[in-house]
Amino acid sequence: MGRLRSAPPRYWLVAVAVLFFIGLPTVISSFLASEWTLALVFAIAIMGLNILVGYSGQLSLGHGAFVALGAYTSAILAHRYHMDYLVTIPIAGLLTGIVGFAFGFPALRLSALYLALATFSLAVVAPSLIKRPKDLTGGVQGILISQPDPPDFARNGFATITGNAMTSEQWIYYVTLVCALILFWLAWNLVRNRPGRAMRAIRDGEVAAAASGVNIAGYKTLAFGISAFYAGVAGSLYGLAIGFVSPDAFPVSLSIQLLVGAVIGGLASIPGPLLGAIFAYFLPIESNQWVPSQTWIPDQITSTVKNAGPAVSYGVVLILVMIFARNGLVGLVMSGYGVLRRRLRGAGDRETGQMPPDPQTA
Amino acid sequence: MQEFSQQVVGGIATGGIFASLALALVLIYNAMGLVNFAQGEMAMLATFVAYSLISRGISYWIAFPLTLVLAFVGGLAIQRIVIRPVERAPILTLVIITLGLATLLNGLAGFIFGYVPRSFPSPFSAQSLGLAGVFVSYRDLGVIAISSVVLLAVYVLLQRTTLGLTLRAAAHHPEASRLLGVHVSWMLALGWGLASAVGAVSGIIVAPTLLLEPNMMQSIIIYAFAAAVLGGIESPLGAVIGGLLVGVTINLAGAYLPFVGGDLQLAVGLAIIVAVLLIKPNGLFGRAAVRRV
Amino acid sequence: MAALLELEGVRAGYGPTSVLHGVSLSVPEAGVVSLLGANGAGKTTTLRAITGGVRWSGDIRFDGRSLHRMSTEAIVRHGVAHVPEGRGICTELTVDENLKLGAHRRHDKDGVKKDYARVFELFPVLKERRRLSASTLSGGEQQMLAIARGLLMKPRLMLLDEPSLGLAPLVVRSIFEVIKTINKDDGVAVLLVEQNARIALELSTTAYVLEVGRVALEGPSAQLQGADSVRRSYLGY
Repeated sequence: MGRLRSAPPRYWLVAVAVLFFIGLPTVISSFLASEWTLALVFAIAIMGLNILVGYSGQLSLGHGAFVALGAYTSAILAHRYHMDYLVTIPIAGLLTGIVGFAFGFPALRLSALYLALATFSLAVVAPSLIKRPKDLTGGVQGILISQPDPPDFARNGFATITGNAMTSEQWIYYVTLVCALILFWLAWNLVRNRPGRAMRAIRDGEVAAAASGVNIAGYKTLAFGISAFYAGVAGSLYGLAIGFVSPDAFPVSLSIQLLVGAVIGGLASIPGPLLGAIFAYFLPIESNQWVPSQTWIPDQITSTVKNAGPAVSYGVVLILVMIFARNGLVGLVMSGYGVLRRRLRGAGDRETGQMPPDPQTA
Repeated sequence: MQEFSQQVVGGIATGGIFASLALALVLIYNAMGLVNFAQGEMAMLATFVAYSLISRGISYWIAFPLTLVLAFVGGLAIQRIVIRPVERAPILTLVIITLGLATLLNGLAGFIFGYVPRSFPSPFSAQSLGLAGVFVSYRDLGVIAISSVVLLAVYVLLQRTTLGLTLRAAAHHPEASRLLGVHVSWMLALGWGLASAVGAVSGIIVAPTLLLEPNMMQSIIIYAFAAAVLGGIESPLGAVIGGLLVGVTINLAGAYLPFVGGDLQLAVGLAIIVAVLLIKPNGLFGRAAVRRV
Repeated sequence: MAALLELEGVRAGYGPTSVLHGVSLSVPEAGVVSLLGANGAGKTTTLRAITGGVRWSGDIRFDGRSLHRMSTEAIVRHGVAHVPEGRGICTELTVDENLKLGAHRRHDKDGVKKDYARVFELFPVLKERRRLSASTLSGGEQQMLAIARGLLMKPRLMLLDEPSLGLAPLVVRSIFEVIKTINKDDGVAVLLVEQNARIALELSTTAYVLEVGRVALEGPSAQLQGADSVRRSYLGY
């Protein structure tokens, strides 16, 4: 019991968050559950981007292209080769990861600015590259994905708890949640151990890191590969959640949306991608719902706000965050928390800098 | 052979468009070591401004320079308001800010002008002229003429005027320039204004062909990146030559390589970028490192 | 009579490190003052403080006007030319363009023409290499260009940071001759930072010796030259 009490508040927050997400579909509509599924998909993709940008310091603006690759891999395997969709998820992830890893090699030779430029161009070109091999990708039409019915054990479990029948959407939500939990846990481990430390060392100063014996090339390409793996899984789940994939679902603005989410949530943090994903995904939806609900705004304005609002707000937020709060929401929370803690605990022992012992553990 | 020459001439015309936008990128890169990802969107917004002026009855030849002036002011304002507060930030922070700016401007254009594509007038007729057995449209000739005039004007400004001298000095040697009485901070703002005006030219001359809408410049910026990278990101001359080469290359690739066709021309642009960065990152006219004093 | 340049109790530093701990000196109108001392004593920092390149506290007055919080550009426009350590040559520009930058703020076309003629008279090599990139000049030639450029600014005070650094003795001699001429003929005051104390003392009327951010010694150059003990312990010869 003593250990539980002295566990850092962080672990409590994680437990609460996990319980929240597990319980969510039981209290919201099936449609809302599918919305949250997409938010979790974003979170996975952003986590991958975060590993690349936040932890290893390589700015790739083409993450959307990797998401597309994962989505199409799953779609093609399921649709043309009739594989069980759930089986395609790790395959899509692995394939995208390998491609990402391969990308990491030429990326080593590019300076940060040129890497940004090249990956941005890739993101712009990606939709037209997808459209070309029509037979494989279905061209502009894309590929339809049939959403699986929940298996019996899930259906029974859900019915026992809520008394309702489980929909496909809710099942897909739980599949996504399990993937997200696994991947976040993996990321947490990666960051805490040697790979994470190596990447951070590289990000903060390659020369010094090389001098300390860190294998720069190895870790940088590894970061690319892992980041692409996450994007691939996210893409695969995305296709499952939406029910189809098409080239126009992956424009360059998706890559920017993911970057916004990563930056706002807080680069180089584990909870950041989740917070950023929720923000990046729900902001346009909320603003789209709020504006039409204001009946005094005429229809033409409503329709253009629907199209333009998100872009304007993303742009403004991105600029403001980079100017004022580079560590994003997590950074703000951490500094706010730090201030709060100091106030509550008193100034501590000025001479030794120690905090007074926590009365609960004494 | 005739078809080939026509493709080449057409390529030179589109090359002029790429060269103007690439020159804008090079100007800002020289001033701060930053690739301005918002350059295309700034040009797009300026083109919308031109459209507004023209649809109010102002003649094309008055609206054009007026738009350039407004674009200049806009670029200057962006530098003062958005860029200057974070001048000393790491490059990647600045890149992300320009991305935010691009997103913002795109949304703003959509918000103000909507997403319905509009046709943009060209003062040149669409007819063709026979020159030495090759058919060249007046429009293409007009594009070539306008971009040549603009590029030449920028050259004269930078190389032959005192203002241009102080701009270049402030860009390459900010510390030394300060000691010579140059207002380096204002020179940076002017540089952004100039780049914005030059970029606006590319938007205005491409609009008749592409149809004006907020996403109009998204592919042009990729070609401009290719041109700037090919020519050497620090070299204004490189931007021009790079632009011409990219223009001709994508035209020929589109016409003669069956697997490219019209829709994969953009992929050729990407291929040029990747090839140059991997083989000769400094481009044709770039130097190894820009030392700042 | 107030001096052209006055420093009083100037403290300056870079971030948390303090380099100057209260430096006071003055340069009279049309005077030549040398600032000597070992490496790291704070000589360059002193010059940088004068032209606003480093934060400082205390009092710095030029021509009676306080330079506190003035931007570098503004200070320079008031008539202070600063030839920095490393000369500050714009290597991306040609020799001629460098010179033009020196004169670009001036409106007296005839005066500028005359000064150009003088500069080419003093440094003929610059005339030869006008159209070439400044990066093609040797060290000595770059130093000449830096001084020529400063001259074209028509300053009232010239700050020179280690003009002899890395140059052959003959070249150093000719450059110092030019500095003397500029001072005598144009009445330009000079504050000269030098490690080569001997030649600096020959040129200047007054000298200050800095040691770890403080003025350790000051007085007429002749006096410092003459005192053997001073020469050996402070000036190294």
